[in-house]
Amino acid sequence: MSDLLLRNEPDCAGFAGEGAGVAIRLAEPMARYSLRARDAQVLEDLIGLAVPRAIGATLGDMACLGPDGWLLCASVGTVLPSGSDLPVAITDVSERAVRLLVEGPRAGEVLMAGCPIDLDRFAVGRATRTVFETVEIVVWRLRDDAFAVEVWRSFAPWLRLALVHAAG
Amino acid sequence: MMLIHCPYCGERRPEIEFAYAGEAHVARPVDPSAYTDEEWERFLFIRANPRGRHNERWRHIHGCGRFFNAVRDTVTDKFETTYKAGEPRK
Ligand SMILES: [Zn+2]
Repeated sequence: MSDLLLRNEPDCAGFAGEGAGVAIRLAEPMARYSLRARDAQVLEDLIGLAVPRAIGATLGDMACLGPDGWLLCASVGTVLPSGSDLPVAITDVSERAVRLLVEGPRAGEVLMAGCPIDLDRFAVGRATRTVFETVEIVVWRLRDDAFAVEVWRSFAPWLRLALVHAAG
Repeated sequence: MMLIHCPYCGERRPEIEFAYAGEAHVARPVDPSAYTDEEWERFLFIRANPRGRHNERWRHIHGCGRFFNAVRDTVTDKFETTYKAGEPRK
């Protein structure tokens, strides 16, 4: 479906920012899917991928964001079946968000300049929807010193600026 | 910042992740076409508006996305408890 659309990637150059102990950059484009289902098993059988059951848990490229909602962030070209005759909703949202990578020993501290979650106690492999100031984001802890921040693309320049200011 | 316990996430989360959604347990009309104007008025506009203990709906909109119910004191703003949608009034 999305291959019929004109891809309009944000300009990666000029997006990076740095402060002492932290680097902020734009990740490469990804395929993103929003997956909704009351019964996770139906989803699992359909797409052939293991689906994390606990809210906040991740399994591979998939995060469980709510009791009936998941986010898949996979490599470009990943295509999921639509499940048109099943009680599921699988939507390609690849172009909705971009991903900022915040890396370095001060990554959590810089994010907490605007994110009210206690990221010092946010385990590696956990992901959640939350806010940065008033902008909705999905925070995904990739490693001890690396966070992925999914943000709707129109908010991304502001978020980048806010993070660079917090880092400086 | 106030923390609100989300019964779906199972943890206390910052209040700015949540949105207020009015009084809880307002039953929708079973047969809307049979409702009189007075019944519609009561359903749409008339609320308990108590001073003190209030059962109300909240949504963890910047979190898991779910609606749930809470008991909050409208004077002190203190949350007594929260519970999942569909559970009986507490
Ligand atoms: Zn929640």
